[in-house]
Amino acid sequence: MIAATLPALAPPSDPESGPLDYVSASRLKCWQECRLKFYFRYVERISSPTNPALFVGKAVHHVLQQWNLARWRGEPADAETLKPGFSSYWEKEQADEKIDWSGKEEEHRQKSWTMLEHYFEHTPIPLEEKPQAVEVIVDRDLEAHGLPLLRGVIDLVRAGGCIVDFKTSARTPDQKLAGHLHETQLTTYALLYREATGEEESGFELQFLIKTKQPKLIVTSLPPAKPDQVRRFLHLMESLVEGVEREDFIPSPGLQCGYCDYQTQCQSWR
Amino acid sequence: MAIKLIGNYAKRLGLPGYSSHQFSVSVETELTDSGDIQGEAARIYHLLQDAVDREIQTVGFVPGDEYGLSNGSAHSGPSPNGNGNGSNGHWSCSDKQKELILKLVTEHDLDRDVVEEIALDRFGSGVKALNKLQASGLIGELIELANTTPRNGSKPRSSNGRNGHRASNGKGGRS
Repeated sequence: MIAATLPALAPPSDPESGPLDYVSASRLKCWQECRLKFYFRYVERISSPTNPALFVGKAVHHVLQQWNLARWRGEPADAETLKPGFSSYWEKEQADEKIDWSGKEEEHRQKSWTMLEHYFEHTPIPLEEKPQAVEVIVDRDLEAHGLPLLRGVIDLVRAGGCIVDFKTSARTPDQKLAGHLHETQLTTYALLYREATGEEESGFELQFLIKTKQPKLIVTSLPPAKPDQVRRFLHLMESLVEGVEREDFIPSPGLQCGYCDYQTQCQSWR
Repeated sequence: MAIKLIGNYAKRLGLPGYSSHQFSVSVETELTDSGDIQGEAARIYHLLQDAVDREIQTVGFVPGDEYGLSNGSAHSGPSPNGNGNGSNGHWSCSDKQKELILKLVTEHDLDRDVVEEIALDRFGSGVKALNKLQASGLIGELIELANTTPRNGSKPRSSNGRNGHRASNGKGGRS
């Protein structure tokens, strides 16, 4: 891929990057969840296998990206046109990932496509609406603030400056909690968007594609990031930088341990 | 023997954006009546406190929430480039983005008119006027164009299933 020869714009997930080369919403969220997990993932760089849920999320994101790009370019953007892209992505990518499907690959595949069809039918975004940006990589230099580079990939910016993030989920999310649970990610996008455009975002939309038997689409609209949220975010970045510098990688036992990829390594932590 | 009474009153108040301001007033006076030191001290204290309280209500410059986040300036618009190196020839995006756009055009012999046309079509602005968000989108398009039209600079094709620079590993993955 050509990007590999173009160091001026690093890919968003750079496996060679150090823990403080840049900060992203994923890194911050991992830090909030468990500092020891952050250590295994971003300091030791222990790779973890892709599980079916993660792969489904990636495949759905890929198709939604193609859908948004097609609308942006004024090309056909219906389910029929997009299905071959979904199939080829699934076949090519899953072959490289060595996923343990437990014999349910076809079921996951079918469910993913049904979820996408449901989305195309019920999306709140008019087909003719031209996006402001699709899957863009945005950086913000925070050196003057004594902080690392902030980097993010924004799924979609709708006309008018509404930042959209697509999420796949097995359960219906608690809409009242959505703003709180996703504050770190959305504030990341707000800071990146404001730097890149000089304007404040008009708001956010979390679009949840729910993998229930009968697929659902839940759209949660949220207002622009408030000054207090920006302050909290900067404190969080400071906490990450200071914690990594003093190697403060303590574990945070909790419900999240049940699906953590680093249970084995965690047990031997001293 | 003359008795001197020296008083100082200082107040420091917090302000938004991690800032604060403080003001202090000092006074040195010679007491004529050494029998009323307590009364004179109280009088000076109230005098100084009044003076400080009156003045400290004038807050002056208060940094906004984003003060210092971008090259130390309190601007409200996008910084002219990504690294604070000053002018990049009137491009609105960052120096790195400008460099990358020019590199893609040169190395893949892309037709500059086609590139300008893409910018106008997608963003309604010419290449140089694109902000950082738009430039990032344009770079994605140019990388795909370069991948599909390696050396002839022809118009972008219309097809689906692209998987170019736009990071398919960036979302739904771990960055």
